Amino acid sequence: MCGIVGYIGTAGVGRDGNEATDGAVSASVGEIVHEGLHNLEYRGYDSAGVALVGASSGLTVAKRSGEVDALTVPDLPEATHGIGHTRWSTHGPPTDANAHPHTDCVEDVAVVHNGIVENHETLKAELADHEFTSDTDTEVIPHLLEEALAADPGIDLLEAIQRVESRLEGSYAICAVREDDDRIVVARRGSPLVVGRGEASSFVASDVTAFLEHTRDVMYLEDGDVASVGADAVSVYHDGERVERSVETVTWEADAAEKGGYDHYMRKEIHEQPEALRQTLAGRLDVDAGDVDLDVSFPPGFLADVEEIQIVACGTSNYAGRYAAQLFEELSGVRATVEIASEYEFGAGRTPDRTLVVAVTQSGETADTLGAVRRANAAGARTFAVTNTLGSTVTREVDGTAFIRAGPEIGVAATKTFASQVATLVMLAVAIGRNRGALAASDARDVLEDLRGLPGAVQQVLDDEEHVREAAREYGDSEAFFFIGRELGVPVALEGGLKLKEISYDHAEGFAAGELKHGPLALVTPNTPVLAVLTEGGRATETMNNVTEAQTRGAPALGCISAGSKYDTLDVSFEVPDVGVVEPLVANVYLQLFAYHVANNKGRDIDKPRNLAKSVTVE
Amino acid sequence: MVPVANRPLLEYVVEAVAAAGIDRVILVVGYRQERIRNHFGDGDDWDITIEYVQQATQLGTGHAVLQAEPVIDDSFIVLNGDRIVEHSVIATVQNRMHDGETPVMAVTPTERPREYGVVTLDDNRVIDIDEKPAGPVMTNRINAGVYGFSPAIFDDIRETDVTGELTITATLNELADIADGVAAVNYDGRWLDVSNLWDVLSVNAALIHDRTNREGSAADGDENSSSSSVAVADDVALADNVRLGPNVTVGGSTAIGENATIAANAVIENTVVFPDAVIGAGAVVRDAVVASNARVGPNVTIAGGPATVVVDDAVHRNVEFGGVVGDNATVGGGATLTDGAVVGDNVRAAAGVVIDERVESDAVVRRG
Repeated sequence: MCGIVGYIGTAGVGRDGNEATDGAVSASVGEIVHEGLHNLEYRGYDSAGVALVGASSGLTVAKRSGEVDALTVPDLPEATHGIGHTRWSTHGPPTDANAHPHTDCVEDVAVVHNGIVENHETLKAELADHEFTSDTDTEVIPHLLEEALAADPGIDLLEAIQRVESRLEGSYAICAVREDDDRIVVARRGSPLVVGRGEASSFVASDVTAFLEHTRDVMYLEDGDVASVGADAVSVYHDGERVERSVETVTWEADAAEKGGYDHYMRKEIHEQPEALRQTLAGRLDVDAGDVDLDVSFPPGFLADVEEIQIVACGTSNYAGRYAAQLFEELSGVRATVEIASEYEFGAGRTPDRTLVVAVTQSGETADTLGAVRRANAAGARTFAVTNTLGSTVTREVDGTAFIRAGPEIGVAATKTFASQVATLVMLAVAIGRNRGALAASDARDVLEDLRGLPGAVQQVLDDEEHVREAAREYGDSEAFFFIGRELGVPVALEGGLKLKEISYDHAEGFAAGELKHGPLALVTPNTPVLAVLTEGGRATETMNNVTEAQTRGAPALGCISAGSKYDTLDVSFEVPDVGVVEPLVANVYLQLFAYHVANNKGRDIDKPRNLAKSVTVE
Repeated sequence: MVPVANRPLLEYVVEAVAAAGIDRVILVVGYRQERIRNHFGDGDDWDITIEYVQQATQLGTGHAVLQAEPVIDDSFIVLNGDRIVEHSVIATVQNRMHDGETPVMAVTPTERPREYGVVTLDDNRVIDIDEKPAGPVMTNRINAGVYGFSPAIFDDIRETDVTGELTITATLNELADIADGVAAVNYDGRWLDVSNLWDVLSVNAALIHDRTNREGSAADGDENSSSSSVAVADDVALADNVRLGPNVTVGGSTAIGENATIAANAVIENTVVFPDAVIGAGAVVRDAVVASNARVGPNVTIAGGPATVVVDDAVHRNVEFGGVVGDNATVGGGATLTDGAVVGDNVRAAAGVVIDERVESDAVVRRG
């Protein structure tokens, strides 16, 4: 939930004219770290700070509450390395004191941390003679380092971290620097941390987007790794032993993570959906054979015998799972259930080796979902991940992975990744159905043709944005918003409500349309618009009856309808092109645009809604 | 954005600008600007900076230039987004601008001067620009659509006395009458223009031809063809993830965009197929443009060949043009398009209809 960044290298040297550096890096260490924090701001943004180390300036820390822009990074051209942090509060409110980096009593060591030190109370009690200045769990780490270094003056920061690391419980990614030490030392357990290797420079970060403009050569650390990061070399240790971690090359573009002329990442990402979906589908559909080429490597016979598919996910990914679960039953012929990851337990009455647990997570780092995967693995079930992030933690903990290939998503409110998640899961449902012999090639072909039509259909909806903008202007100032649908329209209604409340702070709820009359109808007034999914795959006629119930109570009704159908009583109709089972998914694009324009008209901070963070790496 | 050889026309313009050594580009955008922003972003892929200004209502080329005034404080080059030129002409205009404040325009010879702005010169000075003259013309030199201006042009545009659209040429015609006038630079290089729909076909063919000469076969995408019986000519540009069904024949000068589908037995020739379009089994599509996400039904015939096309009362004879199917339009099975028929965006045409003229967008065509 927080973002970590670190840089060590020859930046700044070239500025004094002493030595030319590689052209890309000409700013000072402080500037590079600050820029990295900007790139990670989506991970947390209620406080920020940096620690810079230079031969004569020693250790300098600057930190404060507020956004990254508000932070003044000290101008230290001779600094050789530095670390930075952008925080989303878990322990202690966003104050200057609680901002990272944290230091020991004598300001010899500075530490930034992402995750939770669960035994921080116990450790703090043991450190009674140390002076603590914050409410954070993190602060025990620099004081423990101080103790370790004082106890044995012969050791360096790397050895100190190795000793301290074994005492920490919980999940963490730690980055530490020390005065008079010429390296950055990092440790990882349960929270993401990657190392970038440039020319005579190294980077560390929670996410490669922090340093993608400098290097694409990336080393993914594994849980339990401790590394000493220098400008020319990175040494990784695991359980005290030196290990090698391979360097991989990131292929996607850094500028894909820039706003490219849009006011908000969210609107850019909504408009990127046709391209993202083309990438999701590229090379995977074999329409003639009625099959999908998805790298699903299960032992022979496993899919034929599978009794249940359990989808575990949170938030928007959970709704993508709900969409898919219906299709797993219909296309794959397997019982499918969806669990909220934080509530998931491998319940009784199931045979582990006949259960497939599918984790859906955009970042691959969602702590709740990782917890569910670990419980499923512990129970002996087979696990599979659907994620957007290569090298993410979840991919190392499951038996197989399908990447959604949506490209980086920066806006906190998920948009294009929802579409790509659903498209990937539909392909998975076809692959499993075909493998099990539950799905005829001709039926599969119909679904695959609908999938091929998806990018064009979404583009058609995006071209109709003006229509949505008008509706948002007219209905945006309502008391509450209700989203309803049936069948595949239910997850879309839930997602529509979530999107609107996330970014506009309005009261918005999604319901199964039939549930309206069992309670929520009491909330319906002329000032609560109802948005309905009235497309194919959503039992439109029945849903329309529920819309009428709301209209009878005076509520305005907006509907996403299949092309060619007509409901005269709707106040606003959004037309969805004919793409069969993915029509509700296309309808969702209208709801995304509606949420965006309602929030934008209210001047909300759309890419960074209050209290929310992009990848939720705490439980 | 109209793709030619599977890349947006505008990308060729931006590339020429970058190749001329210009590193800041301002795109004046209006219609479907999101697609343009998605494609070009901040310009990093071309190592230039791209900024966007919006022209909310299309009131002419001069008006478009005015929209950029707040972000311009020095001499600048103006180009049309739908004309492909070589980078040399941009560099030449730019160099000429160093000589002073006088507006500069490039002129180029063409075989069809009367379709453009015919420029009368006195040495290298512009005397007159005559837009689409009705009578005989004295020269084949026309306005190439590449201009060099100083910021003074903004006042000149505002002070231009026009009725109707505020065009750059109206302003330049006024300036041609006064002291410093308008300087012309001659350009004899490649000049490709798509002011008529069928020009897309010849421009597409020319660019595919270039690429075939340079790289051998231009069919470089990962097409998804399950059949060995597919025949694809050498001068064809296939984008990634195109699906070609069994026995499909793709003839020369054809470009097929990303995620498009050509079903079994279809025959496609001298045609531009945009991304996401679907051409049904057995269809014959020649000399045609099939736009984004359009659905051409099974056994549809677009026969192609010379046609007489009437656009806004202007009669164009003997153009190689089969027809156009607009964005998201659906043409039912067995329908026929003849004589350069233009099926607008989102049109739904029923099975078996014969279309031989322009069908406005969003219309429904039934058998009568």
